[in-house]
Amino acid sequence: MKETTMTYLKPIPVKTPDNSPYWDAADRHELVLQKCESCKEYLHPPGPSCAKCGSPAVSWEEIGNDIQGTIYSYVISHRPFLPGFQDDLPLIIAQVELDKVPEVKIMANVLDCDYEKIQIGMPVKMIWQDLPEGRSLPQWKPIDA
Amino acid sequence: MGKITDRYAIVGVGESERSKNSGKSPLHMALDAARAALNDAGLQATDIDGFMSYNENDSCTSHQLATYLGVRPKYVKDIMGGGSSTEMLISDAVALIEAGELNSVLIFRSMNGRSGVRMGGGGWDVNMLQTAIDGGSFIIPYGAGGPAQWFGMFATRHMHETGITQEHLGHVCTSFYEHAQRNPKAFFHGKPLTIEEYKATPYLSYPFNKHDFCLESDEANAIIVTSAERAKDCKSRPVYIMGLSSRQCHPHTHYWSDLSQVASDYVAPEVYKSAGVKPEDIQVASIYDCYSWVVLRQLEAFGFAPRGEVGNFVAEGNLRMGGKLPTNTAGGMLSEGYTHGMNNVLEIVRQLRHEYRESDRQVKDCEVGICTGWAGPDIAGAMILRN
Ligand SMILES: [Zn+2]
Repeated sequence: MKETTMTYLKPIPVKTPDNSPYWDAADRHELVLQKCESCKEYLHPPGPSCAKCGSPAVSWEEIGNDIQGTIYSYVISHRPFLPGFQDDLPLIIAQVELDKVPEVKIMANVLDCDYEKIQIGMPVKMIWQDLPEGRSLPQWKPIDA
Repeated sequence: MGKITDRYAIVGVGESERSKNSGKSPLHMALDAARAALNDAGLQATDIDGFMSYNENDSCTSHQLATYLGVRPKYVKDIMGGGSSTEMLISDAVALIEAGELNSVLIFRSMNGRSGVRMGGGGWDVNMLQTAIDGGSFIIPYGAGGPAQWFGMFATRHMHETGITQEHLGHVCTSFYEHAQRNPKAFFHGKPLTIEEYKATPYLSYPFNKHDFCLESDEANAIIVTSAERAKDCKSRPVYIMGLSSRQCHPHTHYWSDLSQVASDYVAPEVYKSAGVKPEDIQVASIYDCYSWVVLRQLEAFGFAPRGEVGNFVAEGNLRMGGKLPTNTAGGMLSEGYTHGMNNVLEIVRQLRHEYRESDRQVKDCEVGICTGWAGPDIAGAMILRN
């Protein structure tokens, strides 16, 4: 991954007080999800309080690093809409429904996948793409790839 | 606010020149549009005591506009906002007139949308974007940097669930492009589009090709709202507001986990209730069209075709002149021009005034029309108007 870290020109997730547990865990190659202690709903993306009931009582739950899901929706960019993506076209961006927590959908790129084969319902697994400075980005990959 | 049906009216509409490179400031274009709207209404600038606008940090202020019209206004308001802001500001104007604070309000949108700040992106600081957009760090690092991708995510899922195809998206585009051929001021006047050409166009951001995107233009629009009583003194034929749903929101702050509902689903019942009419009473429409799919999803939300039948509804030509619901009859934002929704408001007003009665642009004898706003799946508004 050293070569990648030298040439990574895409945006790197910005940590904020509200999202840093998620990105800190990603850097450790683990997924954590925010959960509301009042209504017990999972909250993704995370925030300063529950976006479903308003409760400030939110906590974090470790989901681990063996994450599988299915494609819920996707788009395929044939043009870079942000800098750094020009060499990755066509780029698949997908919402993936987690097998363990179906109410949570996580947006990421589907890597190692022929863009003509992508479809809703396709099974994928989470992989961890290492970025510069010890950062890491959750990504998806077809399970049979 | 109580029942406002038919008690307020749009009495003036006007626009600046439309171009790809205006060479003018947004203030200059706003003045052109405001003067055109005042002239249309037969009002003096000093008859206006409230000025309102919306922008994305790409415009002039209401205070500047009033100043350079030579007016010292009672009230100015500028909001940050996109495609449902016209309905919201009209609602605010009605409330302020109802409360006796103001008499007549001019609302405008002015933007160098092509030569200045482009909605289509480019030049954004990506770290700023991540923090400016709610949940931005969960989408920007993946290249999801614009509405084409955000709305596209909704579109792909909706198409999967309802059987809408890319060809159906194409029927929205070709219908609106057809209207633009009758509108000499439309950007794509002289550039008709066939469904075959549409289907042969490569994807830009699947499921969208370039025709599914609204165009970008330099332009200002203005409208004037006043009471029905004051409207009698205007030279224009007033278009009355039957009902409004100024803004409603998708129930979740972060909508990415639920692509099944959009704010328009919540706006629709309220605007019909407010106006006291049903979808089948609507004879002409301006449906917010930043992307072709957005039109299909709103047709479903506003009850013009049942879920699952919206594709057939557009394929049968119902958005065209002579169809069940002639829509975006000047070409819409897909092919006329783009002022974040306001050009579609101007057109519905002109249709309901029967301003095109001598030409094939007129929806014959139309009495009731709807105008919808869409500031993304998360926020929407709508109004129903009559002549
Ligand atoms: Zn909660």
